[in-house]
Formats: sequence, C-alpha cells, structure tokens
Amino acid sequence: MARERTGGSRPPRRRGMGRRKVCRFCADKTLLIDYKDSRTLGTFLTERGKIIPARITGTCGRHQRRLTVAVKHARTVALLPYTSVYP
Amino acid sequence: MADRRYETLVLIHPEQGETGCKELAARIQALIEEQGGTVSQVQDWGQRELAYLVSKQRRAFYVLFEYRVTPQALQEVERNLTLMDPVLRFVSVRQAENAPPAPPRHTRRPDREDAEGGEDAGDEGDVGMLDEREMS
Repeated sequence: MARERTGGSRPPRRRGMGRRKVCRFCADKTLLIDYKDSRTLGTFLTERGKIIPARITGTCGRHQRRLTVAVKHARTVALLPYTSVYP
Repeated sequence: MADRRYETLVLIHPEQGETGCKELAARIQALIEEQGGTVSQVQDWGQRELAYLVSKQRRAFYVLFEYRVTPQALQEVERNLTLMDPVLRFVSVRQAENAPPAPPRHTRRPDREDAEGGEDAGDEGDVGMLDEREMS
C-alpha cells in the first residue's frame, strides 16, 4: 500500500545499469527449443538444475513456457538432472 | 483418421548391449508399423551417461524414432513400450508438421559458434553432473 510514494509523473526508471536483456529465442530465430538439446537447455538451469526464471535470463513469456516444457521432457529421459544433489 | 507426427526417445537398458539394442529398436519400429504408422527416421545415439540413476543404471542406450501414427495407435505403441522390460523410459512428443526432421546427433547447429561469441563454453555435452559443488 505504502510503496508508491511519489505517484504521478515519475519516469520509468530501471534499477541499476546494464543493458536490457532480450529473449535469446526471439533474437535468433534459428535457435529452436528442443528437449533433446540438453546443452542449450542447460544454460537455462542453475547449478542445482533448477530452471532459471525468465526475469533473470530475459526470455520472453512465450519462449519461457516452451523452455519449461522442454526441460521437463529432457528430465524424464535423464538428459537433464532434476537436481545435482544426488538423492 | 488423421495421423500425426510424433517422435519418441527410448532409453534401453545397457545390459542389452549394442546388438540387443539394435534388435529392440527393430522390434519397436515393427511395433509402430504394425499400428499403421510410418517410421521416417530411427536415430541411434548409442550409450550415453544419464543425468541421474534410472533403475540403478548410470548409462543407457538412446534411440530416437520419428514417425506418423494416429493418436489411438500412439496410445497402443506407448502401452507396448511400457511392457518391454529393457525399455527403461521413453518420452513421446508431438512434432509440428513443418518442423525439420531431427538433425543427426552431434552435428546439430554447426552455425552456432559464430552466431554468438563463446556463450556456452561448458563443452562436453552433459550438464548432468556438476559435482564438486558443496551444497548444503
């Protein structure tokens, strides 16, 4: 409730510096999301094997959804880990 | 009945060996064709390290099938796959009609390197085991 103190005409400001992230799959149309491509998918996982949020990677919503499905398919056939910490 | 394009990746028990794996792949292909499907590609990936243990195995043979069948037939194919003991696991995915056929393993996307400067330097395939990482 009390978060927005100066309402009205504040210019949209991004925190911190750095360039705006773009979705890799939008930028490179030839790059397909494929559950068999564990190497590409692996770049969207943390060391523990968790899926990195789109807000970090900059992936757009549409591609993030597909990515998630692909990662899950890859996990069922043991191409990607569910976790790096061995159960 | 409209048939659809699917692909199935099958994990075969390492005990089967190269020949057993080939035989089983042939059996699966016959199974698909029996159901009125047409197999367009069978890809043998050979033995691969698994990202985690499956049925207490560290490795397994991977075989990929690309084919067209009716959804009803796919159900039957999948049911039969679950009955095959050497099949550890499989995943079937519907492919878009206009999707390119799966490129052969390891030659995938040769244009990648120059497309983006040295992003994923993590070579050697698997993200599977990132050990030596103390986590608590």
